[in-house]
Parts: sequence; structure tokens; C-alpha cells
Amino acid sequence: MAASTQTAAAVREVEAYKYGFVTDIESDRAPKGLSEDIVRFISAKKNEPAWMLEWRLKAYRTWLTLADDEPAWAKLHYPKIDYQESYYYAAPKQKPKLNSLDEVDPQLLETYKKLGIPLQEQQILSGVAVDAVFDSVSVATTYKKKLQEMGVIFCPISEAVQTHPELVQKYLGSVVPVADNFFATLNSAVFTDGSFVYIPKGLRCPMELSTYFRINEKNTGQFERTLIIADEGSYVSYLEGCTAPQRDENQLHAAVVELIALDDAEIKYSTVQNWYPGDKDGKGGIYNFVTKRGACRGKNSKIMWTQVETGSAITWKYPSCILQGDNSVGEFYSVAITNNHQQADTGTKMIHLGKNTRSKIISKGISAGKSSNTYRGLVRIQGKADGARNYTQCDSLLIGHTCGAHTVPYIENRNPTAQTEHEATTSKISEDQLFYCLQRGMNTEEAVSLIVNGFCKEVLQTLPMEFAVEAQKLVAISLEGSVG
Amino acid sequence: MVATGLLDHPFKEGYAARLGALPGAAHAWIDGLRQTARGILNASGLPGPKNEAWKFTPLGELSKIPFIPAATADDIDVREVPRGVPSIPGAQRVVLVNGVVNTALSDPLDALPGLRIESFKQLLVREPQTLKPFLGGIASSGALPLAALNAAYMADGLVIMTAKNFAGATLHIVSIGAAGAEPLAFHPRNIIALETGARLTVVETHIGLPGQSYLANPVTEISLADNASLRRYVSVAEDADAFHFATTSVALAAHSSFETFHLGLGGAKVRQEVRAALNGAGADCCMNGVYALTAKQHHDLTTVVEHHVPHGTSSQLVKGVVDGQSHGVFQGRIHVARDAQKTDARQLHKALFLSKGPEVDCKPELEIFADDVQCAHGAATGELDREHLFYLMARGLDRDTARALLVAGFLDEAVATISDENVRAVFSDMVNGWLKRRGV
Amino acid sequence: MALIDIKDLHVSVQGKDILKGISLSIEAGEVHAIMGPNGTGKSTLSNIIAGRDGYDIKSGSVTYDGQDLLAMEPDVRARAGVFLAFQYPVEIPGVSTSAFLKSAINTKRRAEGKPEIDAMEFLKLVKAKNKALGIPDDMIKRPLNVGFSGGEKKRAEVLQMTLLEPRFAVLDETDSGLDIDALKVVSDGVNALRGATRAFLVITHYQRLLNYIVPDHVHVMAGGRIVKSGGKDLAHELEAEGYAKYLAAA
Repeated sequence: MAASTQTAAAVREVEAYKYGFVTDIESDRAPKGLSEDIVRFISAKKNEPAWMLEWRLKAYRTWLTLADDEPAWAKLHYPKIDYQESYYYAAPKQKPKLNSLDEVDPQLLETYKKLGIPLQEQQILSGVAVDAVFDSVSVATTYKKKLQEMGVIFCPISEAVQTHPELVQKYLGSVVPVADNFFATLNSAVFTDGSFVYIPKGLRCPMELSTYFRINEKNTGQFERTLIIADEGSYVSYLEGCTAPQRDENQLHAAVVELIALDDAEIKYSTVQNWYPGDKDGKGGIYNFVTKRGACRGKNSKIMWTQVETGSAITWKYPSCILQGDNSVGEFYSVAITNNHQQADTGTKMIHLGKNTRSKIISKGISAGKSSNTYRGLVRIQGKADGARNYTQCDSLLIGHTCGAHTVPYIENRNPTAQTEHEATTSKISEDQLFYCLQRGMNTEEAVSLIVNGFCKEVLQTLPMEFAVEAQKLVAISLEGSVG
Repeated sequence: MVATGLLDHPFKEGYAARLGALPGAAHAWIDGLRQTARGILNASGLPGPKNEAWKFTPLGELSKIPFIPAATADDIDVREVPRGVPSIPGAQRVVLVNGVVNTALSDPLDALPGLRIESFKQLLVREPQTLKPFLGGIASSGALPLAALNAAYMADGLVIMTAKNFAGATLHIVSIGAAGAEPLAFHPRNIIALETGARLTVVETHIGLPGQSYLANPVTEISLADNASLRRYVSVAEDADAFHFATTSVALAAHSSFETFHLGLGGAKVRQEVRAALNGAGADCCMNGVYALTAKQHHDLTTVVEHHVPHGTSSQLVKGVVDGQSHGVFQGRIHVARDAQKTDARQLHKALFLSKGPEVDCKPELEIFADDVQCAHGAATGELDREHLFYLMARGLDRDTARALLVAGFLDEAVATISDENVRAVFSDMVNGWLKRRGV
Repeated sequence: MALIDIKDLHVSVQGKDILKGISLSIEAGEVHAIMGPNGTGKSTLSNIIAGRDGYDIKSGSVTYDGQDLLAMEPDVRARAGVFLAFQYPVEIPGVSTSAFLKSAINTKRRAEGKPEIDAMEFLKLVKAKNKALGIPDDMIKRPLNVGFSGGEKKRAEVLQMTLLEPRFAVLDETDSGLDIDALKVVSDGVNALRGATRAFLVITHYQRLLNYIVPDHVHVMAGGRIVKSGGKDLAHELEAEGYAKYLAAA
């Protein structure tokens, strides 16, 4: 309730700037709608060099030509989005500071408790002013310094544009080209911020990036852009998102993530997505159109995507791997849970170009309520990918008879020495399993949580430890009210 | 009224005009079916790569070939059944040349009491009301561009109807494609309707005579009443330059069963699309098949199984071998509607590469809206299993013998599912003959 | 001259050394047993003898009947009389056991310059062997090894061995998964083949099998080496003491 009044107020405020913004570069917000001027405004706000503005403008002009190409093939239904009705730039708003957890919505606190989020983190998450002694910002700063000494660049991408333009220019758009798809092109024109990571040659990054920062991340907005480069022989594990429920005033999100792994490098990218899914009747909720792609550019490189998708009203997301380097490896582990009126169309693409490239896809979809959950994946073996291997396993679980679970794999093999293997099953929680748990004294909800977690285990165990524990609890919470 | 414009595409100019009045045009509902189909075709044209259902088999190249209607070619004279047509023991033979029943080459059509075999054209003119419950109602033009093309031009074909509890017979339908001086097209419309409790076995041999290119575009609508049981075994070995796009739609009533096997041995571009709707509880559908391709052949087997009611079962096993520069496609969708609880649906597709050069595209699909179901699909592509090869060689078989045994065994797993012994033997011979010719 | 002579064999898989200098010489008429804990390279040795690829033979030699065995293709070895009873026989759907057996028998017959076996003779032969091994006759109608139980697979391996009458047979953990009755039947099948012109190499983890197939020589393998050789009593010693001291030594 409070959020919508706030939004309404913000809208009114912004409307007031409608006519004078072009000259008023000092403004905190751009008016509604998208135009070349808005793109220039965003670029100017970020004090970007000319090449960056040109890049954005090129994207914007391309996007105009894609007007009829908004993807329609996914099993998703939502009212047509009016892109001129959205806001594309607003400076991050300061959350109102609260004095103690007593002032926080008790329902939110209950969720934090269920997720097992430590008290300090709860305070930070909910905007309670934290005693300096426990302020994890200082902890974060310590680690940041340590990373700097090792040569790791880890900063907002807007900062990297200023400080490491050569790296950004070389790699930005090299995996997801400007004209890649409707949403990625839109992002390229108007992205506001995101992370930039560069791991130098031979370095095994000693900590999970963003584990210590995740609760301090600035509001990066609806058009996030992330670029991660792992130089030869390096390793990095990157965590994105948060198990705690996240609300955002902007309904439309279109992020782009690009990963580049050079020779012998490895990138592990883990996501927990828990954006606001809308209410029980399907009102509200985030539209999440994400383009994530990694290029295994070097030989023996490896990219591993793990995602736990529980939030958003609409999820359109296919973290992919382009296996260019010989012997490179792509892996995709996914748990997607939809409940109530949520719709997810998610999966991956594994494009095998190099010799002896290998890919593995493990997807677990759980549908409940009136939701729709689709796995969509492409495995393509090109003619030169001798000895390539793919193994895909997609399992769907239906809870109740008002939801849908769909599996749409595309397998294209042009090389006789390559092997692809795909298996998919759809079933419900077995009565026997459920009865067994009940007989041992669990209630239905506990039993379902246990069984579903078992169903997802292969994916959840690829998450970094402390994340995995929270994710397990998240699985249970996401399915609350779906049984009985 | 004959529409013009896009409808002539990809055919020779004036295609529709050459056909003249089509049979049954005097009846409003038949004319309506044709007009609707033309409207659909005019609006969307033939499917290209952007059409999701046709993305692996786009039909763009057809526009370069000036097909004329087969019925207007006056230089076709087929006097005997081609040698490649197998003999099915105990089967009654019906021969169609370019989609038109050839009585001279066929056994008498009225030989069996309780089984009615008629020319579609004659029935359409004489007693169209007999066709009304089926025609255009099972294979709708709406989502099927090739069925629309057929509906627009359908002029002849075969109608097979049984009496209640018809005890069973085997029909062998030989469909010969014969082109004359000009490339030609034909669009036969077939209807197979089995009354309650009836049983029938239909074997279809689609074969081409060497010569100019032709386009065979048959649509078969099949209606199975309660407890009816149809076995339909189709082999397609068209001429190297021929196009063959067959659409089959089957409506299954309660406790009916449909067993089908599709053997694809070639043609320039072939698509066999089989759609089964399980409309009555307890219906069973088994769709298996084999494709074996070489040279630049393109073969697409597309299946759609729709479970609309509870307690249905469906199973599919499709095996393919690809050689040369060929292109094998398998698409299989299993749809389980909200009410179709206790459905058991399974599908497996495996393709084996025999050389470097071919491509295999595969899109199995599960679309499930009911929770108490068991649904699974699997798909695999690759070379012969090295472990298998090693095991056989470790028993003394040389590499070529071991390979031949394994490839034959790979395909035989599917062929062995044919429940009619005679047909199984004939199809097995066709598959093994293909392998021998290829030196596998 | 030994029927099979393995000299200082060094083998690695994907850069990892598995066999680190194996030497073993077996005369016609002898039965040798190799015992050892899991993961010591026993199965690698049997695979090398049968000619499976994927192994990097770094040095050493294997001579069979005076010929360089390692230079021969797997099928050539088999036709020359080398037989491996697999630890895990593969399931091959679609290929019927009888078609496979007939093909294998005839390939061997052709190699020996004998006429091919006719269908009647083949059935008679298989039925006789089946009876001895307690194999139901309908098993040969089923696809090769598909859906066979662990015990059935092992019996089917021994059936193949008795049909192909090899000169040198390697039994790789043939006893695993067998109950005591099956173990006896399988052993009887092997013992019936024992003779002056044949040699056996029995690879096993347990001494149990060697109560039925009594070896002339027993070798202990650990860490990719033969660490001790002795007579049949060595097997009993191992049963009593375990492999621990050899593992430590390796």
C-alpha cells in the first residue's frame, strides 16, 4: 500500500519536470518515455565519454527498428508494454531510515527469520540504522582493498567506463551484441548501472564476489548491465541477487550480463532471483526480461550458471554459453519455482563451436497455483565441434492441477562425432513420498518442502555454501500455501 | 469463385484456373471450406523459417518450381505398379496415381462386406453429407498451412469407412507419384472412419516414378469411434526430386486405439506430420517410426499428441539414421490438458550419424497442464556407441560386421514394435535393403 | 613359450598412471588369479588385453602366442582366441542375443576355415550349453544383455566363452553379483573348459571364486603393480589378512 502511494507521489513529481528536462541536466529524473534525448540525458548524467554515448545511440536506433520484434515465442502472456509509459532514469532514492526492527513490517521480518538471515543483515535490508561497530560496510571496504591489491577490478560499470575504458570498450557488447534482441538492445541504450569485474591472469579470486557486498549494493535500477572478464588461467565466483524478497517500483526490468572466459579461465555465476512476484491474484509483480550470456573464448575455459528463480511475475531468461575455445565447458543449473499467477519461460543455450566442448544442463521446474513454468533450451553443435558432448536433464514437478509445466528443447547437431542426450520428465509429488513423511510426523508443508528440496538438490548444491542454505529455505517459502 | 494472387504461389501461374470447377463446389459448406483455406493461404503464404512449427523445414524453395495441377497433365500413363512396391500377404490393394484411384491397377473396391472404399471425388459429388462429420473437422486448415493448401485444391483421394464391429482386414494403399513433362502437384484428401468396435489395418506405400519433380500433399483425416482399433503403417520412398508433405489427423474416441508406424526413406523434401487427439477416456495411441536418409534428402517427422481426457496413454519411439548431406528433423509435442489426469505419455527419439555431413534437428516438447500424470521424453543424437562396438569386436566380429549389426539393431528396435507380423517383415526388409544399398 | 607374456607394462589414462610395470607370464594349461583391492588397475589390465581404446600404453609389451597382441585390433585378438568376460557387459538394445551369437561363432569359424554353422546346429549347440549353465532358452531371443539381471549377464558371458572356446580367457570380476548357486554353475562352466591348450586369467576381489576355480598361481595387485605372487594358498592368506599391508607397501 505504502509503496503504491509512494510511486504515485514520485510520478507526480516527475511529471512536473516534463517540459524542462532537456536543459535541466541537474535534474534527478528523466521524464517518462524514451527518445534520443533521454539516452543523451542518461549518458550525460553519468558523465560518459563520447564513445559510450555513441554506443548507446546506436543501440537506441537499432531498437527503434526492432519495434515489431519484441519476442513473442515464449509461453508468456502479459499486456503489451508501452515503452513510452516507463521511466528510464531516476537517481537512486534514499530509503527512509528506521530506528529499530520494531518499525519494520512484521510479515517481512517473519520472512527474514524463515530464510535464516542474520540480525544485522535484516537491519540493513530493512533500512534500520546500524551501529557503526557492526556495520558490514567497513567489512566490505576491507575486502575491497584486498582485492585491489591482487589486481582484481570490481566496481560499478559506470566507474569502469571512466577508469578502465579500454577494457569496457573491448568487451562490452562482445558477447551480447547491441542488436542481439529487443530487450538487450533496449538495455544497451539505457542501462544505468551494474557490476564490472576483471580478474587478472592466473588469479584464483579468493572470495565469492558480492557475498560480502550483496546487502550493500546500491540500487542499480531496472536496466542493470554486468560485465565480467576472467583473464587467462583465472577463476571467479560471482553471486547476484538476494534471497530476501526485493521490491522495486519499476515493473519492467531488462538486465544484460556478459561473461568472458579466456584460456583456462573459469567463471561461476550464481543468481538467486526473488523480485516481487505480484500478489495472490496476479496483480503487480516485476517483468523480468534478462539476457545473460557467457563466451568461453579461450581453450579449456569454463562457465557455469546457477540460478534459483523464485520471484517476478514474468521471467524471460536464458543464461547461455558460447563454447568457442577447444575443450571449453558450459554448465547450466536451474531451479525455477512459480506459484500463484507467476509465469516463467527460462532455460539456456549451449552453442558448441570448438572441439571437444562439453555442456551440461540440469533444470528443475516446479509449478504451483495458477502459474506457468516453461523450460526452453537450445543445444547447437556446429560442424567443427568434433567430439562435443551435451547432457540435458529437465524435470518438472506440478503441485496442483491449475498450473502448467512445459519443456521445449531444441537440439541441433551438425557433427557426427558429437553426442547429445536429452531427458525430460513431468510428474507430481508422489503420494508414497508424501505419506512416508507424514507418517514420520511432518506436516504437509514440511513434507512438500523436504521433497521439493530433494528434487532440486542437484542444482542447489552447486551454490556457494551459505547461499545454498538460504536458497533451500527460499524454496519452501516460495511454495507456501500451494498445498492443502 | 477462384481466388488469385498469392494463392498461385508457389505454383505455375493460373494454377487454380487450370483446375476449373472442383468437385462438390455446388455445396456451400464444401465451397466454404475451400474459401476459408484460400483465405488462410493468401494471408500467410507457405511456411518459412519464422513459422515456429516449420522452422526446420521451411518451404521457400517451392516457389521456384512451376507446378501444374496433376489432373491437367495429359501425358501420365501408369500401367503397372512399380517394382519397389512390396507385396503384403492377404492385403487388398488399392492403387492411386497422383492422388486419383486407379481401378485398373486396384483390387475390386467392394470386395469386403462391411468395408466401404470409395473415391473421395465421387463421394463428394454423390453424397457429400456422408463426409460432413469428418471433412475439415479433424484436420483444420487454421493452424496447418499444408492442410489449408490441400483444402483449397482437394479434388480426389480415398474414403474408407467400416461398419460397426467390422472384424478386421488389411488394406494396402499404393500411392504412386508420376510426373510428366512438367512438375506437378496433387492434394489428395483421404478419410478413414472406423465405427464402434471396428478393426482395420492400413498399409500405405508412397512411391515415386523417376522423372520430373512433383509435390504430393495428402491430408488424411481419421475418426476412430469407441473401441475402434486402427493400425496404419506408412512408408515413403519418393523420387529423389519429389516433395511429399503429408498431414494426418486422428480423432480418438473412448477406448479406441491407434497404432502407426512411419518409415521415411526419402524424397527431396519430406514431412510427415501426424496429429492425434485423444478425445475419449482410455484411448491409446502409439506412434513409432524410422527414417533413413542419404544424399541431400530432407525428412521431417512431426508428431502432436493431445491428451484431452483422463486415462489416456501414448507412446512414441522414433529412430533415424543419416548419411550423406541429409537433414533429419524430429518434432514431437505432447500436450496434456487440465482434465487429462492419469495420462501416461512417453516419447523417445534417437538419431545416428553414419558419416560426416548430415544434420539432425530435434524438438521434443512437453506441454502439461494436469498434475497427476507420467510424462517423459528423451532425445539423443550421435555416433554408434563405442562400448557397443568394442563389445562386439571383442567377440571377434570385424568392424564392418559389428557396425552393420549395431545399425540394423538400432533401427530394428523401432521396427520390432509393428504389431502386424507380415507388415513388420516387409518394413524390416525395406530398412535392411536400404542399409545394404548404403553399404552399412 | 608362454601363451601370454606381459612385460613391464606401463599404462596411463588421461595423464594418470594406472599400471606401473606389470609383468606376467602364463603358460597354456595354467590358471592364474589376480586379486587386489578396487582401483588398483585390475580392470585396466583386462581391457588392455582385450584391446579397448582410451588407454595410453607408455611402455612394455604383451605377446600372445608369439605375436604382438597390442598391435592387433580387438576383433583380430578375439578371433585369435583371446576372450574377455566383461565385468559390466553392455546392454545393446535392438540386437538379438541369438543373431549376435551366431555372428560371433561364424566369424570365428570363417577365420578357422570352417563352414558356417547352420540354424539347426546352432540352436542345438546353444540349448546344450544353456542347460549346463542354467540359462533359460528364451534368453537368446531377447536383445543382447538388455534387462538381464546381474547374474544373467555373467552367465551369458560364460555362455559366450563356452561357445567361442577361446585359448586365453580373462574373467574380470565374473563372480560379482552372483549368488552361491550361480557361482557354482559359472565355475563348472569354466572348469569344463580347462585343458592343456587353454589358459585363464581370473580377476577377482574375493577369494570365494577361487574355491571353485582353483588357480595354479595367485598374484596380488596393488597400486598398479603385482606386489606378491604365490600358489593357491596365497588367496586364503589374503582372505584372512586383507589387503592392508600390500596397500601400504604400494
